[in-house]
Amino acid sequence: MKALESSYLEIFAKQIFNDLKSDEALTLNFTGEETLFSRLSKAKVRQVTNLQQAFIDFVFVKGNKVLTFNMPFRANESDVTLALKKLNQSREWIAALPEDPYLVRPKFYGVTKEENLNQLPNNEEMMGQVLDIAGNVDLAGVFSSGDVVRATINSEGQFHWFKTRNFYLDYSLYNDKQKAVKSLYAGSDWDNTELKRNIKDAEHKLSLMNRDSKKVARGDYRVYLAPSAVNELLGTLSWGGVSMSAHQQGNGSLKDLWQAKKKMSPKFTLKEDYSLGLAPRFNDAGEVSPAELMLIEKGEFKNFLVSTRTANEYKLESNFASDWESMRSPVISTGDLSRDDIYKELGTGLYLSDLHYLNWSDRETARVTGMTRYACFWVENGEIASPIEDLRFDESYYSMFGDALERITNFSEISPSTGSYFQRDVGGTRTPGLLLSNFKFTL
Amino acid sequence: MKLQEILKNLSDLKADYISLREVHTKNLSMSVRNEVFEGLSTSEDHGLMVEVMMNGQFAYGATNSFELEDIRECALKAKNAALEASRFSLSKFTLDERPATVGEYNSPGKKGLESFNPKEATELLMEISKTMKVHDHIINRSAYMQVSDMQTHFVATNGADIKQNINRSAVAMSAVASSELGNQRRSFGDDQSTQLGMENWNKERLLTHAKRIADEALELLNAEECPTETMDLLLAPDQLYLQIHESIGHPLELDRILGDERNYAGWSFVKPADFGTLKYGSPLMNVTFDPTVHGQFASYFADDIGNKATREFLIKDGVLLRGLGSLESQKRLNLPGVASQRATSWNRAPIDRMANVNLEPGTSSLEEMIKSVKRGIFMQTNRSWSIDDYRNKFQFGCEYGRLIEDGKLTKLVKNPNYRGITAPFWNQLKMVGDKSTFEVGGLGNCGKGEPNQVIFVGHASPVCLFTNIEVFGGGK
Repeated sequence: MKALESSYLEIFAKQIFNDLKSDEALTLNFTGEETLFSRLSKAKVRQVTNLQQAFIDFVFVKGNKVLTFNMPFRANESDVTLALKKLNQSREWIAALPEDPYLVRPKFYGVTKEENLNQLPNNEEMMGQVLDIAGNVDLAGVFSSGDVVRATINSEGQFHWFKTRNFYLDYSLYNDKQKAVKSLYAGSDWDNTELKRNIKDAEHKLSLMNRDSKKVARGDYRVYLAPSAVNELLGTLSWGGVSMSAHQQGNGSLKDLWQAKKKMSPKFTLKEDYSLGLAPRFNDAGEVSPAELMLIEKGEFKNFLVSTRTANEYKLESNFASDWESMRSPVISTGDLSRDDIYKELGTGLYLSDLHYLNWSDRETARVTGMTRYACFWVENGEIASPIEDLRFDESYYSMFGDALERITNFSEISPSTGSYFQRDVGGTRTPGLLLSNFKFTL
Repeated sequence: MKLQEILKNLSDLKADYISLREVHTKNLSMSVRNEVFEGLSTSEDHGLMVEVMMNGQFAYGATNSFELEDIRECALKAKNAALEASRFSLSKFTLDERPATVGEYNSPGKKGLESFNPKEATELLMEISKTMKVHDHIINRSAYMQVSDMQTHFVATNGADIKQNINRSAVAMSAVASSELGNQRRSFGDDQSTQLGMENWNKERLLTHAKRIADEALELLNAEECPTETMDLLLAPDQLYLQIHESIGHPLELDRILGDERNYAGWSFVKPADFGTLKYGSPLMNVTFDPTVHGQFASYFADDIGNKATREFLIKDGVLLRGLGSLESQKRLNLPGVASQRATSWNRAPIDRMANVNLEPGTSSLEEMIKSVKRGIFMQTNRSWSIDDYRNKFQFGCEYGRLIEDGKLTKLVKNPNYRGITAPFWNQLKMVGDKSTFEVGGLGNCGKGEPNQVIFVGHASPVCLFTNIEVFGGGK
């Protein structure tokens, strides 16, 4: 798809920049993808879609005013015609708008180009291998592969381009009792042996789910949260938890930490770490985030994410967060609990592989609710006794990452984002497992 | 080139069936916070989905290029993908699942994007923001508006030809009060989207709500924490719309019951054998699927595969009758469904979705319901939601709560939450409000599917009273 080649964007952008007047500036944010999506159920194909799409968001600044518009990008002459038409309408509308006191002006933040385009087998070949291996199990999920691009270019000369080619099989396996194990095979190098190992490993875990489920009564229990469960907790924490604007506007969820009225466990450290390589360091304005940014260090508040707009409003220093000030590449530091010791250290309690459908139950006290999901077990005297029936929890981050945090595993796992609302996501997290002395189940 | 011509041009592909679905959407949004203009944003999305059936397997190709050669490439890819996938088909379909419907739909909105005036819109939002400035403790005052125009055109080799033009608009606002006692937020309008245009924006009404929510946020700062106990629960439509969505709409989706959504959205506690027999709720519970309501958020003539929409009872007198499922799911389950195969846009394949799912009004007045309660709580406006894989165990939080004691509304309480299990909860439905308590709303961001899709749905409801519900407050 030619729209995913950087030269087309550069040529197009230059034509539009040439039309700008002296008091005007423009930033173009480009997103594009060429993707195969195959929806799978019962290890069969439900629907398959080949998609090509590319869009450009324009941030148009005139004097002290700003207006944004967006259009599809097709890498042909119609793009320029449509963009100039929209630019002219923007000039008309912007005259009627008030000035923006917190305006973020386009600047030159350098030129970078990163492309990770390993050769992959063709889609039919990869899909065929998945379905051959999974033919005798009940597998549901999605297989996705193709190229994804994020780029930003502005009238000050800045240009950042990030293109990656990858695939993921995001799936779960089910037994006759409708119990499930979730897994993910993702990357940019296809390895049929590794795919086979991944599915066989999930099948083995599923065999542990064949015992009768235990109905656990509501109450407080010791729990072990596996890395994927911790990843879910990070996802919700990113929803206003570490955003400076959310805190300034009364919607933050770690206010007591920010105001140093509370601390988390000295064992707990959370940072943004772009060495994960799953997300570009630049944001929509082209600002390049620090390679590492400490958010919570040994239980104490260090930084929240601050966009330049928030910095302008509250007279703070920007750390070049995105407009939403959500985490893009978070990492929780590991501890000293080895994989072999998890069940023994848990003793009697619950082993939670995944959590599901989290939401704040009380932002003020950083309390979150959600459900257990997939392979979750009752563990007795250091051994798996049985799977559990799904449980609802309602617990505070100050407990989970604070008072109740006993041990952190000495390993961590990367969870690449498999989100695909509007377009395929980039980014991901790296999280260890957490052993908690106390976790509240409510229903 | 017109769609019919493109379709003709693809005839040499010799597919068993081809449809083209063109979607052209224009959106505009604007926001003001603390009387500071926060931005005007417009977006345009225009693309085409080609659907091909070969050997009973559907496959899709999507592009936002309208060059004939690109569309052809998409169609060819879809044909080849259908042939390849037909070796591994989950189900085989026929042309019975693609009706040859012809028709047109125009939503009742009059003032759409073409009538947008940036100055007038800014002034309205500024005035809403200013009206919320009732005290220094109101630290955040946000006002937001959105207008969208969506045109779809669907044609198929079986003769189907459907044009639908839908305008939508909404104004929403929120106020956050903050003091040493904490933060409290009140909002209005998040559930108020309609297919009406900007002509529906009654300034006086919006400013009345702006003043009310700011006063209430302030009042909540000093309110007592919601008690923890089991009591009667009176829910307003601006909470019930989400209760209906999560605990009626989603569990009745046939693709969830079939297991297609297990890996992402989950499945359902409802089994195929439950249709016609399951006592979903009390006899007062009547729920319809109705895309024919003129002007509700998710009204349409036909779904995205050309199935003409009709009003159907999903639950009648408390008994489950039919699910929310497309012709494809209906065939696979041999159960009745509705016209609900919908896609977010041109870039996603259509799946089973809600449209307007409404709880029909009953006969009780608000006063009668309050008077009947010895000890209970009235909750308004959703602020948090969570429900499990099977759409069983849920927990909701609301912005505003007021105790009901001996038949009267009394103390204001903050951070009210409740939890329960779907079927027992709806069976505890004790009174259903009459038409005077009925409100029509909707939800613009229902997420589902892999690849993910976000879609608009409508929900209307009266005020309802439930008995013996587990209620609790915030804090730790």
